[in-house]
Amino acid sequence: MDINAYIQSGIIEQYVLGLASTEEVAELQQLLVQYPELNKAIVDFEKSVEKYVMANSVQPPSFVKTALEKELFNTSSEAIINKDSKIPVYTISLWRYVAAASIVLLIASTALNFYFYSGYKNSKQHYEALLTERNTLQANNASYKQSLQMFGDTSMLRIEMKGMPGKEQNIATVLWDKRSKDVYLYATNMQQTPAGKQYQLWAIVDGKPVNAGVINDCAGICKMKRIDHAEAFAVTLEKEGGSPAPTLSEMYVIGKI
Amino acid sequence: MAESLSYTENELVLLLKQHTPAAFNYLYDNYSGALYHVVLSIVQERELANDVLQEVFVKIWKQIDQYNPDKGRLFTWMMNISRNAGIDTLRSKSYHSQKQNRELTENVYATAETTEIETDKIGLRKIVTNLKEEHKVLIELAYFHGYTQDEISKFLNVPLGTVKTRLRSALIQLRQYLKR
Repeated sequence: MDINAYIQSGIIEQYVLGLASTEEVAELQQLLVQYPELNKAIVDFEKSVEKYVMANSVQPPSFVKTALEKELFNTSSEAIINKDSKIPVYTISLWRYVAAASIVLLIASTALNFYFYSGYKNSKQHYEALLTERNTLQANNASYKQSLQMFGDTSMLRIEMKGMPGKEQNIATVLWDKRSKDVYLYATNMQQTPAGKQYQLWAIVDGKPVNAGVINDCAGICKMKRIDHAEAFAVTLEKEGGSPAPTLSEMYVIGKI
Repeated sequence: MAESLSYTENELVLLLKQHTPAAFNYLYDNYSGALYHVVLSIVQERELANDVLQEVFVKIWKQIDQYNPDKGRLFTWMMNISRNAGIDTLRSKSYHSQKQNRELTENVYATAETTEIETDKIGLRKIVTNLKEEHKVLIELAYFHGYTQDEISKFLNVPLGTVKTRLRSALIQLRQYLKR
């Protein structure tokens, strides 16, 4: 190809001024790779157009610049500068706020949960303790009432058992219902039992000890076994659960009818 | 004005990509007059040209990353943005397109004469007035109205090859005027 003829053909002017067809542009760009002088011719024409247009500048009214500055830098300047990143950035920071708020709320909620739960637990424990105490007191009260009634009941036989020699401080009382033959024991003042030991009540019937039951931890009056008739009652210290026969050496109190 | 910095095109492109107010000031102060000239030569109405110029700078500002130095100088790129924005504005105006259709189909030569009278002070058009009538029309239609050679061939009822030859011939003459 005669590149000089091509350069002089007017194609360069067409190309620079945007008047070349797509095919003409493609052809020129291909030739540009082969012929550096083509590029020089293009740049020369570009510069001469630029020089001419610059020399014939027409000053636009000043409000155009003001409007542009406003558009590009005031309200929407960031939107243009960060056109692509602005929205994600905003979204991320929003999510950050939401996440941060969630975490704060979670921590606060957890702390409150602990606070309320421990409060609830305390109250529940307190309530249960009070309930137990109330039940105990109620039970105690009932048995004391019963005791009082029993002690005042004329049909109840009252047998006071006194401490044996060396155990004189111990006192217990048997209340024996003459009608029903029910036996009740009231530990007026008995020594604390050692671990693994229990007091056991015996009825002496025809000279023989009859098991009337072990004394459990009962408030006030303990109901014992029914005894039809007896000459005396005694309490011995036995192994836990009671013994078939009393350990006489461990007799604490005895009372005759 | 105080002595201002002068950037090469490569430096200016780098500066524009930073999107700083300083870059905008430099761009506007150095090129608004030239680009306004280009826009005015197309739309020929100052009020309309003000809007188009604003649009042109926004486009340059937003599309600077699309500018490819291998395909031409920055000024050529900006000048073509200005020309295209002007043509788009003309075409989007219905009364204008009606007017153009009429001009093109009925009396394109008359149009060239009218615009010549209206815009004799605007540089780019002033150059064209030096051309022969048949060349003047081609430049008018191709450059200032943005019609393709194919469209012009149909409008003028002239073979495409003739349009091509005349257009190139007109451009070669214009180059001579530019160099003076």
